[in-house]
Amino acid sequence: MSAKPVLQKVRDAVNEVDFNRFRFWFQLVAFVLFVYGGYLAIDLGSKLPFFSCGYNQEGRAGVCYLLPLQHQLGRNWAVLFSIASLSILTGFLGFALWFIVLNKGWCGFVCPLGTLQDWISALRRRLGIRFSNYTHGQFAQLTKIKFVLLALIILIPLGVGGGFFSHDMSPPFCLICPARMILPIFTGDLSQFTIDFSSKTAVAMTALGISVTALFLVGSFVKKRFFCFFCPMSALHYLISKPALLKLKKDGSKCTRCGDCYAVCDMEIKEIADDVTTTNIMTDDCTLCLKCVASCPETGALKATFAGIPIFVSTEAGFIKRMNKGCQHGK
Amino acid sequence: MENEIHQVIPIQPAPYSRSRQAGEAQTVLDHIVDDFQENPAAMQYFYDLFRGVYCHGDEIPHSGKLVGTTCIQAPEELIYAFGATPVRLCNGSYHYDQRGADFMPAKSCSLVKATLGMLSSDNVIPKIGKPDLVVNPSTCDQKKKSSVMIEGMGYSVYDLEFPNVKESEASRVYWRRSVREFASELRKLTGQRLTRAKLKAAMAMTGRAQAAFRTLHNFRRQTPSLILGKDAFLVTNAYFFDDIERWTASVEKLNAELAERQAAGFRAVQSKAPRIVFTGSPPIFPNLKLPLLIEEAGGVVVADETCSANRMLYDMTAVDEWLVGDMVDSLADKYLKPCTCPIFTRNDDRKRRLLDLVAQFKADGVVYQAFSGCQVYEMEYRSVAEEFNKAGIPMLYIETDYSPDDQGQLSTRIEAFLESLKNRKKRHA
Amino acid sequence: MKALVSAGLGLLLSMGLVGGVLAEGVTDEHAAHATSEAPRARPPENATPEEKRAFYQKRAAERAKAEAAGEPVAPRPSEAQIAEWRAKREAREAPAGAPAADDHGHGATPAKGRGESGTSKSAQDKATPDKAAAKPEEAARGSGRSAGMGMRGAGGAIWLSDSPPSRGDASARGGMGGMSGMGGMAMGGERSGPPSKRLWLRAGNDPQKSGFAREDAEAESETLLVRPQGPLAGETLPPLADGKKNLAFEMPVQGYYRVYASSRKLQGETLNVSVAKAEIANFSHGGDEEERAQALTAPRILESAPIEIVREKAPDEKMFFQLKSGDEQAFVVLQKGLPVQGARVRFVSHEGWSKEAVSDEQGRVSFQVIRDYFPAWDDFKKRFKASYLIIAEANAAEKGVFKDQPYSNVRYQATLAGSYYPSPDDYRSYAWGLGIGLLIVLFCGSAVYLYRRRRVKPFQEVRFDER
Repeated sequence: MSAKPVLQKVRDAVNEVDFNRFRFWFQLVAFVLFVYGGYLAIDLGSKLPFFSCGYNQEGRAGVCYLLPLQHQLGRNWAVLFSIASLSILTGFLGFALWFIVLNKGWCGFVCPLGTLQDWISALRRRLGIRFSNYTHGQFAQLTKIKFVLLALIILIPLGVGGGFFSHDMSPPFCLICPARMILPIFTGDLSQFTIDFSSKTAVAMTALGISVTALFLVGSFVKKRFFCFFCPMSALHYLISKPALLKLKKDGSKCTRCGDCYAVCDMEIKEIADDVTTTNIMTDDCTLCLKCVASCPETGALKATFAGIPIFVSTEAGFIKRMNKGCQHGK
Repeated sequence: MENEIHQVIPIQPAPYSRSRQAGEAQTVLDHIVDDFQENPAAMQYFYDLFRGVYCHGDEIPHSGKLVGTTCIQAPEELIYAFGATPVRLCNGSYHYDQRGADFMPAKSCSLVKATLGMLSSDNVIPKIGKPDLVVNPSTCDQKKKSSVMIEGMGYSVYDLEFPNVKESEASRVYWRRSVREFASELRKLTGQRLTRAKLKAAMAMTGRAQAAFRTLHNFRRQTPSLILGKDAFLVTNAYFFDDIERWTASVEKLNAELAERQAAGFRAVQSKAPRIVFTGSPPIFPNLKLPLLIEEAGGVVVADETCSANRMLYDMTAVDEWLVGDMVDSLADKYLKPCTCPIFTRNDDRKRRLLDLVAQFKADGVVYQAFSGCQVYEMEYRSVAEEFNKAGIPMLYIETDYSPDDQGQLSTRIEAFLESLKNRKKRHA
Repeated sequence: MKALVSAGLGLLLSMGLVGGVLAEGVTDEHAAHATSEAPRARPPENATPEEKRAFYQKRAAERAKAEAAGEPVAPRPSEAQIAEWRAKREAREAPAGAPAADDHGHGATPAKGRGESGTSKSAQDKATPDKAAAKPEEAARGSGRSAGMGMRGAGGAIWLSDSPPSRGDASARGGMGGMSGMGGMAMGGERSGPPSKRLWLRAGNDPQKSGFAREDAEAESETLLVRPQGPLAGETLPPLADGKKNLAFEMPVQGYYRVYASSRKLQGETLNVSVAKAEIANFSHGGDEEERAQALTAPRILESAPIEIVREKAPDEKMFFQLKSGDEQAFVVLQKGLPVQGARVRFVSHEGWSKEAVSDEQGRVSFQVIRDYFPAWDDFKKRFKASYLIIAEANAAEKGVFKDQPYSNVRYQATLAGSYYPSPDDYRSYAWGLGIGLLIVLFCGSAVYLYRRRRVKPFQEVRFDER
């Protein structure tokens, strides 16, 4: 073959990259940035579309949007239903602007809690323990939970603001989120592991929080990206994902339905393999980790596009390079 | 004078190479080699291989236990991982077909008849030796029923349970379990354990072979073609019994030569030669009747969707976690999910695959071969024809078998078809 | 570990409350000023009531003597002595011409404007033991925990509070503390206009029970407000007058707003200078960062203040700081911007417990905030806002003239009030948290393991044993 043009060389290099290694490093950098960036006085605001936990007060480089959202929604109704609540809309707009850059790629590449789950899975792999799967029926039922949680995130603070619920129930999701307990550990803060006995609601909520964290630890050990399946942030993402810049596209005509993408998918999304008609193939569970693109042997069947420009395309050569471990062959 | 015969000269059995069976193979091979111009130099390996095995009856050595398979769905990586050698038993010899006809119903598939005929004979060509185990995936009716027959011939048979529905979750789980059971059967056979290292090495070996095939496959996209379909079929048919690493190395050599050809702008056919996608019942040496007829008539088979070529080597395995459990499950998925065998209830994947092949290889037409007696391919013809009608792709449907009697008639039909393709191209140009 | 240590300290402090006698007996000796014959703060513990009365009478007499000499006096006398004392005082002061004021008989000069609960016109009440006037005193005294040490004017230090005096118990106001339990995000109260603050001038030594400070015509008062980014010397506010009992100001800018309500009054040969200070931290998350950074590092000292108490900020202290029970808090006493050594500083907690200390060369004293919030558990509010009061006193032998009257020494008194909240260790349990967590991890882990083992059995799965 004659010398390839530079652009083609770049494209090939990208499409044939050792994807797992690339993703590992990307996640590591993002984790260090958002869990320890506060020490370097980095503050990226409080509209972040992933779990950069606000309770990690020393090291956080920005705050997960769900925290200010719950606080804002939890205001007194007199204040909430006044013009002062324009700030909720502007806050949401800020969040949406952050979000549409990477779509749900924030989940797959940046979210510290997601990264943590990937590390726990790596630990499991090292121990030689196999992972668990959901059956199709279980999948269909459990996937709805994230939307229920999202609804509760909106309704409970409203209830708190209206006086129906005690203030100890606010912020409701943060109280049960495993990130609140686990991420501060990385900066030496174990104080979230307490049960707050000051009121019955506080006892219930903190006990629930501890239980969820414990469940999270076991769950993410046996199931890849266990928590992402139930994440309300993921639900929120999906609802506003239409205008996003980073998209996952599928060309069904090239798909052999070999199911490789489904086999590697952490979230066990069947549609990525079976659906050959939809082009925008990102579902509500997808974390845009792009493992499917990396494991597709058919050139052009799956691709990640940024503002319409394909940036990572599944190629046969890339597949062969990535999947043939220990295979020494010349071309 | 004594009219005594002092010396009884027994009638020597003719050596295999002078048998009619060998003659059949010889004729075809000669045709392949001599009647076409400028065969790639790297093909010599394959020509020699077939000459030796089919014409001279050379023995083919193998290492470890020999596991015969009757369908491509039997996971060969597992067989390699247990230190055994797989060999595909499907046979293309008319000689064996006639032999099988002795005990098979009249309207049976030639391929099954030939395979059974081969297994029932004393002198099995290719001379691989007697398989320690014959793995028979439960695919089409006739293969399923052969299990007992093969067992009756003195072989040890393992029924590999293959689902006939591939869309459901249950079938995927069923097949995965089936493959795992097969692995434990292999363990019993070979006495070895399945370890991660061995399985990884086996998958690397087949992966390399698949990669080499894909390169060859991609070279065939070239317009005008760099290599004729007859050679490609020969290459993939060799995979049935040849030592995999030697085969891979030879294909890589062939690929290198094709790269040179491409750089040099070589043409194996005229630019006007109609490009054909071949689909349907698998042509297995020496029964390369149809592909040869097509190429004699001036066409070129650029791609195929048959289980003796493309489908055997095209799909590659993706593994997420390199632990034995996950690797075996991924292998199972690879053998089931992209499979376009007509034995499934639905054939949406096959239709899309054909359309994709036609588009990618810029084919002018499709030749659909169905062996008489192959109910599944014959029934699928209708839906495939509808699909091609919609897409405006011309298709020629040929129902044939192993006998050479219909060569004349077929050649006329094929020529007519190719002619119409040429005219069509002219009209559209 | 830390929990154990602070629990232990809390225990010690509570014991200190009970054994306050001893503590005060000890601190007595640290009285830096020259009252070597300073009387004992309390009668002996096992004294009979008669002995106690005798003790108090003796003390009152000594105090009267000390008063005449212009020295700081011993702490509050018993109720029975108030009238006597008052009479004595009137006798003493009548010649001086100063109108008898409405104090409840600590022998301090009226220049400091004794506070009186509820009543503002008790000038007439000097003659009779004014039960109403005596009540807060009595109540405060009744707790038996007032500090001894010859603190003068301990009966009615003037201080600025952000809550008005309330009848009965100081209600447990679960104020929105801001940070406890939440991630430090402000509720973002964007009401129309900047936040404003209201302060009340109160008199008394007990944060809960101090009443309104009375106006005193004889005193010369001045109220300064120092804004962040405003003039360092502060701006004068109109004095509290015309029946208004509080002062209010707006806080448009982030930072520390400081109010100094100072007054000077002559008493005999002594000029009493008192400065009541309040420091309000106004920060919000959404505001301008530069403004905030500037405000956080700006000095919080008024160089012109005759005496002031500054709460020392820890170097790693965050923006929304809340003092918790069990924390150590240091204060610095300054005069005209310079540290004062030997000032007597008293810390009074919400329930009236107090502790005294003397400032060192850097003018610094440090107190550990006790825990004195012991409601029934069901009534426990983790955001309960308790108030503390710091009173600092120092004397100086300066001569001068005040309103054409000469004085030969000056008594300075500064106050500062603040809030503290229950320590999280009081209601948060690590043991429970980690215990429940561990239990659930073990339970779920075992469940998964057993489930997987069970599935192997009846033909369900085939396992690979690589060994």
